[in-house]
Amino acid sequence: MNNLRFSAKTIFLLMAALMLAACSWPKALSRTQASPDALAYPPLELKLIEPERIALKNGMALFYLEDRELPLVNLSILVRTGSLFDPEGKEGTADLTAYLLRTGGTEKIASDKLDNVLANLATAPAFSMSLDSASVSFSFLKDDREICFDLLSQMLFAPAFEKNKLSLAVSLKLEELRRVADNPQRLAFREFNRLLYPDDPRGRYATSASLKNISRADLVDFHKTFFTPGNMMIALTGNLSREEAVRLVEKYFPRSQQNIKPVAPAPPPVKTGRGVYLISKALPQSTVVSGEFVASKSDPDFYAFTVLDFIVGSGGFPSRIFSAVRNNEGLAYSAGSFYRARPDYGVFGTYAFTKTETTLKALELIDAILLDVINRSVTQDELAWAKTSILNSFIFSFESPHQIAGRQMLLAYEGMPSDYMKNYREKIHAVTLGDVERVARKYLKNGNRLVLILGDTDRLDPLPDSWGAPVVLTPGQ
Amino acid sequence: MLKSSRLASFCATCLVLFAASWVHAFDLEEKVIKTRLKNGLTVLMVERDFSPTVSLYIRFRVGAVDEAKGETGAAHFLEHMMFKGTKTIGTKDFAAEEKVLARIEHLGQALDDERKKGKAADEKRIGELSARLKALQDEHRQHYLPNEIDRLYTQNGGQDMNASTGQDVTTYFISLPANKLELWARIESDRLRNPVFREFYTERDVIMEERRQRVETSPEGKLYEAFMAAAYKVHPYGLPILGLPEDLAFMSPDAIRAIHKKYLAAENIVIAAVGDIDPEKTLSMIERYFGALPSSPPRPTSILPEPSQDGQRRVDVSFDANPSMIIGFHKPNAPSSDDYVFDVLETILTRGRTSRLYSKLVLDRQIAQSVSAYNGLPASRYPNLFAIFASPRHPHTGPELEAAILTELDDLKQRPVTDEELAKSKRQLKMDYIKSLNSNSKLASTLSYYELLMGDYRYFSNYVAEIDKVTTGDIQRAAATYLNETNRTVAHLVKAPENRVKKADHE
Repeated sequence: MNNLRFSAKTIFLLMAALMLAACSWPKALSRTQASPDALAYPPLELKLIEPERIALKNGMALFYLEDRELPLVNLSILVRTGSLFDPEGKEGTADLTAYLLRTGGTEKIASDKLDNVLANLATAPAFSMSLDSASVSFSFLKDDREICFDLLSQMLFAPAFEKNKLSLAVSLKLEELRRVADNPQRLAFREFNRLLYPDDPRGRYATSASLKNISRADLVDFHKTFFTPGNMMIALTGNLSREEAVRLVEKYFPRSQQNIKPVAPAPPPVKTGRGVYLISKALPQSTVVSGEFVASKSDPDFYAFTVLDFIVGSGGFPSRIFSAVRNNEGLAYSAGSFYRARPDYGVFGTYAFTKTETTLKALELIDAILLDVINRSVTQDELAWAKTSILNSFIFSFESPHQIAGRQMLLAYEGMPSDYMKNYREKIHAVTLGDVERVARKYLKNGNRLVLILGDTDRLDPLPDSWGAPVVLTPGQ
Repeated sequence: MLKSSRLASFCATCLVLFAASWVHAFDLEEKVIKTRLKNGLTVLMVERDFSPTVSLYIRFRVGAVDEAKGETGAAHFLEHMMFKGTKTIGTKDFAAEEKVLARIEHLGQALDDERKKGKAADEKRIGELSARLKALQDEHRQHYLPNEIDRLYTQNGGQDMNASTGQDVTTYFISLPANKLELWARIESDRLRNPVFREFYTERDVIMEERRQRVETSPEGKLYEAFMAAAYKVHPYGLPILGLPEDLAFMSPDAIRAIHKKYLAAENIVIAAVGDIDPEKTLSMIERYFGALPSSPPRPTSILPEPSQDGQRRVDVSFDANPSMIIGFHKPNAPSSDDYVFDVLETILTRGRTSRLYSKLVLDRQIAQSVSAYNGLPASRYPNLFAIFASPRHPHTGPELEAAILTELDDLKQRPVTDEELAKSKRQLKMDYIKSLNSNSKLASTLSYYELLMGDYRYFSNYVAEIDKVTTGDIQRAAATYLNETNRTVAHLVKAPENRVKKADHE
């Protein structure tokens, strides 16, 4: 596609440009008015850089890449755990555990002192807990690597879970819950995620009641079960040699104990979230989210669905939802689709933020688009645009050493084959119009959809009968 | 205990090393190639070849402050219109299209004129005109290829294409595979010279939705707008970038054109290209596409300065949300030496768990949910604000937290901050600096920003040395000079009873 081939139209444009140039532009600029589609580009060499995967003596997998540009070392860790492992009735345990690893001190250093040491190093590890993993990221000067590894190791493997820091954390979390409803988008997406998994641990969320049930012993138990080297992977890049990387992790991180079995990945969710839900909040703009379960990342349909999602609403301005809802009708600033594919399940969704008066219209437009792609309306041009776009931007998956190592670690965590990145382009390339139509028909079924509208619901027009009776929700804390 | 004190001394040793060695680890000035084209346009280039990609920033010294009275929101509106194509991008036949566009504008203006009559407006005429406008917009679609700029960039692998409008500066940015540089030059130079403002009236609706999303439904957005309006009574920094609703609702294409005209002055433009580039070829490409842009003499500014504040200003905003507040003080902007002092103070007050306000209010007294200081609100071309954003933790109240914050600020005047606090803050700012060198887009963004605003990107490369000069005495003096009641603006978000919010919305 990079050949310099002039169509009749481009030649016409070129001539027009030359004529324009004659009146107002210096001669050199004639070429600058040629059709951008006719530009010829030098070839680009894409090297698929891969991190080295090293099996460490302590049972951890290390993903390493050297990067000598700056005097920094970058580290990321993935832990096989997640809030879906929260004990029932004690939702919030996972999140508090991660927070206390950072803030609750270690067996050797009290929390206040630890905060001081880190502040003087001008850095700190960030611990975060998600639905199905925990992660740590830490970046520090290479000359500080010994002390940083020592501190991180203590925080991960010998935390103190100081009681007063736990009660502070619980209070802050309670306040955070009080404030969720202040922000309509945050509330809508939290409730959407909850409704998507009504019969699954993934749909359980921390509440003020569940937080009050959590004791220090719960955190100690949670930590003991999940935060073991056998449950962790590490990506280490930056200004250090391979030998040094291996030495540091093996020196500071303990060996896996024989008697502790690694945690098995959670089973896929029960896919029952569907129906229409309303949350009333007197605001001039509604938040509309819809979604359903679709192809997983390891399903062969993943690639066709990626292309479909791009066409429907994640491919920027020219994608269907964006053009229909934003461009043509001016109904929203933000509208589009998302596709979150996990190794064993996938969620596809759409969203739009639109004024109360046009809420139903926006939803109907989105519904019509989904129906349309089921009914084979995707064109060869759209398919070509989506595939070329995905393929040409693939190069940005290799922008920085830490991004490369971190992604390879994530793919390993997800159990994806190690040649996933290598084959990705080929598989996107192979997607046909028939594939896109097939996955649209297979996964996008009206009856399976979950729809949530948050806004001034008293002022909405009546919903179409075909959607069934909506359930009115009053989110608690 | 023994272990931790050993840790501390170990730590002190490496910090000495740190201060001595790292500054020269990456000599930025050696890597930046700065060129000024004959017309005055500045180009900054840095070669970083890890990945065959390039990040491209183009910044204009034009922003919301350059808007005329009654036309607030025009600079941001223009940024939206710049994605609608050019005379040669996005059209099937521009000669025919142009005629329809002229009719749309004529009709749109008539419709706005009628609407402006408010209650006296002729509803029947509005209905008629709206229907005719809709028909014309449908006709226009026959001539137009929508979203071509996005389509071209995306299809060629473009990443993170976007634009932003600030009070001072408007920016257009993208990252591309390194071989696609010419596509960027072709599109950007063309939309700069020959933009066509298509879909004007639907885009106006889009921006009103953007306002609803960012302001009308957002407690932070509402509070921020009220705070800025109170802090600035004369200078346009007090006006919202998205525009006042009444200005936005009747924005005209002429207002957009007036702002666009200000783009067309090469001296007001900085381009940064960071990534896998051949500097010589890149420069000649930029010269070919942008070299013919006119230069124009510097515009005399007609912007009135904000008079010094002569008393505390307070404002409450009712919203269905939990309490929060903004406290702000007027101060000089960069490159004034006081601005560096406030950068350091910002860090001392709220950066990290051991910072003054965080440790006292969130950790010790436990009356705050969050507190963060910000130096340089809302922008930096004119004197700006040092501000503190904070939320109380229930059952503590906004006024209680405000009093506690003000006591801490007063304490800064009574006694100097400790040497440890100062040293820690400087290390943190240096770490920020080095981390900001780690990505093509961050580097392109930072270099072009300071080049445009300060006239020299070396404001950034010299930053660490300037920060090093700040003393505890400077901080005490700055606190005494600026953090005073008469120079203070305080805005509180107070929870409205729900029925009141509803009623206001229905009106």
